[in-house]
Amino acid sequence: MRFANRIKYYFRKPHNVILVVLAITLVFLTLLPLAALIRDTFIVHPSEIMTVRGAKVNDFTLFHWRKVFFDGTKSYKLFYEPLWNTLKVSLFSSILAIIIGGSFAWLITRTNICFKSFISVVFVFPYIMPSWTLAMAWLNFFRNRLIGGAPGLFTAITGIPTANWFAYGLFPTSVVLGLHYSPFAYILIGGILRNMDANLEEAALILKSSRAKIITRINLPIIMPAILSTFLLVFSSSMSAFAVPAFLGTPVRFQVLTTQLYRTLNGLNPGYGYIMAVVMIVIGLAILAMNQWYLGKRKSFVTVTGKSSNFSLIRFKKSKIPLSVIALLFVVAIAILPLVTFVIESFIMAPGDYSFSNFTTQFWVGKGREDIGGGEPGILLNKYLYMAFWNSLKLSLIVAIVVGIVGGLAGYAIVRGRGTKIASLVNSLAFFPYLLPSMAFGAIYLSMFAKPIGFLPSLYGTFFLLVLIGSVKYLPFASRAGINAMLQLSGEIEEAAIIMGVPWWKRMMKILFPIQKSSFLSGFLLPFISCMRELSLFVLLITPANRVLTTLLFQYNEKGWNQYANGINLLIIIVVLLINLAINKITGASIDKGIGS
Amino acid sequence: MKKAHLYAIVILLFASLFNAFAEPSQELVNAAKKEGKVVVYSITSRISNAATAFEKKYGIKVEAYNLKDGELIEKVTREVGGNITGADFVICQDSGRVYGQLIAPGYLVNYIPDSMKNVIPKEYQNPLVFQFINKVFIYNSEKTQNPVIKNVWELTEPKWKGLVQFKDPKQEGVNANFLTMVTSPTWSERLAKAYEDLYGKKLVLTTPNAGYEWIKRWFQNGLILGNSDTTISENIGIKGQKAQTMGLFVYSKTRYDDAKNLALLPMTEVQPFSGFMYPAFLQMTKNAKNKNAAKLFIEYLLTDEGFKPWSKDVGAYSSNPSIKVDPTDHPVEFWASRLVFEDPQFLFENRADVEEFVNTLEYK
Repeated sequence: MRFANRIKYYFRKPHNVILVVLAITLVFLTLLPLAALIRDTFIVHPSEIMTVRGAKVNDFTLFHWRKVFFDGTKSYKLFYEPLWNTLKVSLFSSILAIIIGGSFAWLITRTNICFKSFISVVFVFPYIMPSWTLAMAWLNFFRNRLIGGAPGLFTAITGIPTANWFAYGLFPTSVVLGLHYSPFAYILIGGILRNMDANLEEAALILKSSRAKIITRINLPIIMPAILSTFLLVFSSSMSAFAVPAFLGTPVRFQVLTTQLYRTLNGLNPGYGYIMAVVMIVIGLAILAMNQWYLGKRKSFVTVTGKSSNFSLIRFKKSKIPLSVIALLFVVAIAILPLVTFVIESFIMAPGDYSFSNFTTQFWVGKGREDIGGGEPGILLNKYLYMAFWNSLKLSLIVAIVVGIVGGLAGYAIVRGRGTKIASLVNSLAFFPYLLPSMAFGAIYLSMFAKPIGFLPSLYGTFFLLVLIGSVKYLPFASRAGINAMLQLSGEIEEAAIIMGVPWWKRMMKILFPIQKSSFLSGFLLPFISCMRELSLFVLLITPANRVLTTLLFQYNEKGWNQYANGINLLIIIVVLLINLAINKITGASIDKGIGS
Repeated sequence: MKKAHLYAIVILLFASLFNAFAEPSQELVNAAKKEGKVVVYSITSRISNAATAFEKKYGIKVEAYNLKDGELIEKVTREVGGNITGADFVICQDSGRVYGQLIAPGYLVNYIPDSMKNVIPKEYQNPLVFQFINKVFIYNSEKTQNPVIKNVWELTEPKWKGLVQFKDPKQEGVNANFLTMVTSPTWSERLAKAYEDLYGKKLVLTTPNAGYEWIKRWFQNGLILGNSDTTISENIGIKGQKAQTMGLFVYSKTRYDDAKNLALLPMTEVQPFSGFMYPAFLQMTKNAKNKNAAKLFIEYLLTDEGFKPWSKDVGAYSSNPSIKVDPTDHPVEFWASRLVFEDPQFLFENRADVEEFVNTLEYK
C-alpha cells in the first residue's frame, strides 16, 4: 500500500509524468533503432544475394564485418581511407568554423566595427542554404579544366587556373562545411561573449594585464565550453554531411564514410553501410564523452550574473574602417555572392555564356522543351514543384511545432527533476539523436518501420514517418533551448503559483511560457530551418509521392539541370528567410537564441 | 500448296500490320478510365512528356516520377515487399539487379498487350523491353569532325590523361554493368586482341584478365568521374576548349547541341567496342492498384505516338520495330556489333567483384 502511495505521489508531479513518458518514447525511438541497426550488420539484405553467394535473405552472416574490417586493400579502400578522410574533413571544418565564427562573434560583441546588424543577420545565411548549394557555388567559382567545360568565374576573371587540390577533394569540402557551420560557432561563442561579466576583464585591466594575457587567461577559459560545444556540433554535422563531399570529391575520387554509406545502402551492400553508420555513432559518442569529461573536471563559471553587461567595447581607431570593410566583404562573399550566382545561373541557357542574348526565363516560366532538360516545364509551372514545396512547408512546420512543444516540456521536466537518474537519462536520450548521422538514422528508420512492429502498421511511405524522424532528430535543438530557458527561471515563480493553487497547464501557459517566450520560440525556429534544408535525413525515406523540395533540388543537381536546381534553391532560401523574419518581428525570437549557450 | 503458303504469309503480314496500328480494346480503356489515375516510376525523365500526352488523350491522371536506377530498385523492393501502395508500373534498368532482386521474388509482373504480341520480337517480350539506350564514346567536334580514337586502349595512353569523362559507376548501375561485362570472357578476349592489334605485342596482365586490366589503366589515367551525364555532355561539348576532350555517356545527350551550343559527335568504329547498350524494361508491380490504367499506359508507350518524346531524337530505340529511329541515327542492329550488351546472368554473378575492384582504383 505504501508503495502504491509512493507511486501515486510520484506521478502527482507533472514533471515526473513527462520524464517517464519521454524516457519510454525516446528509448523506443532512439535506442531500439540502434539495436535494429546493429542487427542489420549481421544479416543478408535483399540486394546482397548478388554478393553473399548462396545465402538467402535474412540469413545470419559475418560477411559484412569481415569485408569492412579485415579484407586487406579492399577494406582499406572501402572503409579505412574514407574513415580517415572523414576525420580530416570533420576536424578541419570544425577548426575553421570556430576560427571564423569565433572571430565574427568577437568582432560583433566586443568591438566597435560598423555594419554590425547587417553582418549579424547575413552571417547565418550559409547555414540556411542547403549545404551542397555552397559546394555548387564553389564549383561555379573555382572549377578548373580538370572537369572540362567552362572555367569557373575566378579563372574567367583573373586568368589564373585553380589547382586541383583547391578545386576538388579535401580542401574545398572542409572549407565549404566549415563556412556552412560557422554560424554555430558564431551563435554559441557570441552568446557567451555577450553575457560575460565585464567585471573580470575590468579587474584585469585595472591590474594592468596585457591584452594577450586577458584573452588567454580570462576570455578563452570562459568561452572554452562554447568552443567545445561548437566542436562537438560541427564535428558530428560534418561527419554526417553527404552532399558536399559527393559534389566536390567525386571528380578526384575523394571518398568519405557518407558517400560510401549512400552508395552501399542504395547499391549492392547495405550491410557495409550499416557498419559504417555504427562506426560514425561510436565516434560521435567518443567526442561527446570527451566533451563531458572536460566540462566535468573544470570549475564552472557563472557567466550570467545580471550585474554589469555594459562592458567597454574595444575601440578600433585607424583600423576601424578597413576592418569593417574587410568583415563586410567577407560576409558578402560567403553569404550574398552565392545567392547572386544562383539567380544568374537560373536564367542562362547555354552554360558558361553570360551574354545578355543567352538569358532566358525558360527555367522559371517556360513550357517544357525536350531539347533542354527532360522536357520539364519551368519551375513555376511545375506541379511536382508545388507538391514538394507544400510537403516541405507542411513537414517543417509540423516538426517544428512537435519538437518545440516536446523540447519545451523536456526542458521543464529535466530542470525540475534535476539530480534524479531519470532526468539525466532523458537529458542524454534527447541529445543522442544529434550524434546519429542523418543518413544512417534514415537508414535505420527505413529498415525498422518498413514492416509493422507491434501495434504500429508499416510506416514506410507515410508522411508520418518523415514527421517522426524529423522530430526525433531535431529534438536536441529544442530540448537545449528548453533547458536553458528553464535554468534561467527561478523556481520560486512556479512555487508561488503552486501555493496559489494554479493548475499545472495554466502555470505553463500563463506564467512560464510567456516569460521565456522568445527562448521557447527559438526552439521552434531552428528545427524549422534545419528541416527545410535537410536532405540526408529524408533521402532514403522519401517515396516519390511525398517528395520534399531538397530531394527534388538534389535530384536536379545530380542530373546536371542546374538552372532548375538554382531556382529551387533560391525558393528555399527566400521562404526560410521570410519566415525567420516574420517570426523575429512578431515574437522577437531568432535563430541565434535557438542553440542557447 | 505454294499458294496456301502465300496466303498464310499475306494473312500474317496483314495481321501484323493490323496489329501495329491496333487500338487498345474498348473494355481496357473503359476500365482504365474508371480508375482514373496511374502512377509510374521511371529511369527516363522524358516520361513526363509522354504522361502529358497520355493525360490529354485519355483523361487519365498520371503521376510520373523520375528516379535513379538503384533508387528505383530499392523503392520497389520496399514497397512491393511491404505491400505498400506505390507505383503501378515501372520503367527500370540494370538487368542483373532487376532480374535478381525484382523479377525473381515476383515483385514485378510481365504484361504484354495483345496488340503487341506479334509485333515485338519474342526475345524482348519477357521481361518486356521498353527501349534500348546507348552510351557511346563522344568527342568535342569543334576542331575536328574525325573520330579522335580508333581503339579503346588509346584511352590508357598519357595523351588522354585527364581528358576523358565517365559517370561514376557507383551512381548508376548500368555503368557498373558495362565495366562488369568488359571483364567477361568474350570481351576480355576481344580487348586482349585489340591491344595486340594496336601495339603489336602481347598484353602483360597485372589483374585477372584483359577486361580488368583495361578498366584499371583507364581509371588510373586520370579518368574523371561525374555525377551526371548531362553535366558531362556540357563539360565535353562546350566550345572554346584548348584540349581535345571526350567522354563515354548517353548518346541522346547530343540532342542538346543546338539549345546549349555544344559540339558533340559520336564515334562508332572504335575497337573492340564503341560503348555499351542496355535495355529499359516495362513492368507492372505485383500490387499495382490501377492495373488497367497501367496496362493502357504500357500499351500506349509501345506505340509510335506514345514513344514520340524519345523517338524524335537520337539514342532511343523502341522494342517495337515498326517505330523508326531518328534519321541521323542507326537502328539497334547497327549498334549490336559495335556495343557491349548486358548479360543478366553474368552480371548477377560478377558485378559485386567488379564494383569492389573499381573501388580500389586510385585517382591518378
